[in-house]
Amino acid sequence: MKRLRLFFIENAVVILFVILISIAIPASRLPGKFLLQEILTRLGRSSFLVIALLLPIMAGMGLNFGMVLGAMAGQIGLIFVMDWEIIGIPGLLLAMLISLPISIFLGWLCGSIMNRAKGREMVTGFILGFFMNGIYMLFALYAMGSIIPVMNPELLLSRGYGIRNVVDLISVRQALETFIPLRVAGLNIPVLNYLLIAGVSVFIVWFRKTKFGQDMRAAGQDRAVAGAAGIAVDRTRIIAVIVSTVLAGFGQIIFLQNLGTINTTNSHEQIGLFSIATLLIGGASVTKASIPNAFVGVVLFHLLFLVAPMAGKNLIGSAMLGEYFRQFVSYGVIAVALVLYEWKRLAQEENSRSRLWGGKADAL
Amino acid sequence: MTSRSSIPRSSIQRTGVVLALIVFAACLFYIGKGHVLFLDTNGITIDGKEFRSYASVTVSVDGKELDSPMGRAERAMVTVSGPRHKIVIADDAGAGNKVEKTFTIPTFTGRVLVSIPALLGGAPAEHWIAPFTPRPAERAPAEKMQRYQDPGRE
Repeated sequence: MKRLRLFFIENAVVILFVILISIAIPASRLPGKFLLQEILTRLGRSSFLVIALLLPIMAGMGLNFGMVLGAMAGQIGLIFVMDWEIIGIPGLLLAMLISLPISIFLGWLCGSIMNRAKGREMVTGFILGFFMNGIYMLFALYAMGSIIPVMNPELLLSRGYGIRNVVDLISVRQALETFIPLRVAGLNIPVLNYLLIAGVSVFIVWFRKTKFGQDMRAAGQDRAVAGAAGIAVDRTRIIAVIVSTVLAGFGQIIFLQNLGTINTTNSHEQIGLFSIATLLIGGASVTKASIPNAFVGVVLFHLLFLVAPMAGKNLIGSAMLGEYFRQFVSYGVIAVALVLYEWKRLAQEENSRSRLWGGKADAL
Repeated sequence: MTSRSSIPRSSIQRTGVVLALIVFAACLFYIGKGHVLFLDTNGITIDGKEFRSYASVTVSVDGKELDSPMGRAERAMVTVSGPRHKIVIADDAGAGNKVEKTFTIPTFTGRVLVSIPALLGGAPAEHWIAPFTPRPAERAPAEKMQRYQDPGRE
């Protein structure tokens, strides 16, 4: 009984979402093939970004809200590529290369600041995202075209400097999806996206097994013990954030090339909350996350994205209400996950205290 | 005895990686740089020699055929990437001759005009391919309208 209770507590969010989706799919009346195609596309679009969050969790830094910094770097890379009119896969690779040094710098900055705010990394990352957003805006809306030359006038605002609010990624749009065309049972499979996701998954698995990965896990479990064992905890944490930020930059490029447009001023803002909610919906917590959590999260989150408006329309008569409900549930899950985490932590502390004093440990 | 360099090995490795990435980026720029080809079927006179337009030609660039054959006085736009390209033109209506040419576009030339009649007529490359410069925009009609006075009010 206790095991069952523990299972439900551990997987409360996933179970909640499975129940919601089980109700919403039939209510939406959307065809199964359409849902399957959309899920296949969205898995290829978003999984890379969600996987980018895993390393900081391993290093005990919680959910990296600072990943928006990487997303900004990715967008800057794409804007340059659009200005230079680089087409297709070379364009995407070049955007990734441009984003690389920016992501490394921003990741180093983010990691250094988080080291000064140990225990409050998530809120620090969240606020850092807002701070860096101002600098990004200054760069995108003032420096581009005035200090940094922009050759393509179609990218610029009518005043002559600053990037337009929406940039059409026509030359790199769905370059990954169409590079290896594969159609199975009437469904388009984005093969190259999946290969990239498989590559980053293998990288994460390999990284965990390296000496550095072990150090990272040790630092994540107990900073004091890891420090006493001779592990350079601060350096390890900075590298975890740098790798996460770089992967977030690449992930944002993959995400945007699939959509085909950049919303210059707010594409990156949404991506942090979106990816974190996805990972939590997949059953991850602030301290524990794995690659399957990322995939389960993408499938469940996107299914709800797809079916909620139509389910809302069919059940209540308004697609907007369904969408509001989806937003409320999917972003509310972040709060639920944080509350559950804190509750479990307090319960474990209570258990430890009880054991120490010879009492009965049954708080959880 | 071996003399040890004062530069740390890790610094040399890092510099090497950075340089390799810069070279890789330059290669990506070179092979991925997009160019717009304007395929023009208007008749053209070069050095007094007239190249007349063809009634119907099928054009393919880098193996990709245009959606439909081009008629007289038409202009089609094709986007290509990289410096070297192959164009194949077949005269559908006339003698049925087919021309296949390979050409190079300078990296920093964004738009290029390709004259189909000149190419089919065997003109030298410098005559059938040229950088395309759009005409400067005419003054906006709104500016002209500001000077317009209603004759009825005079």
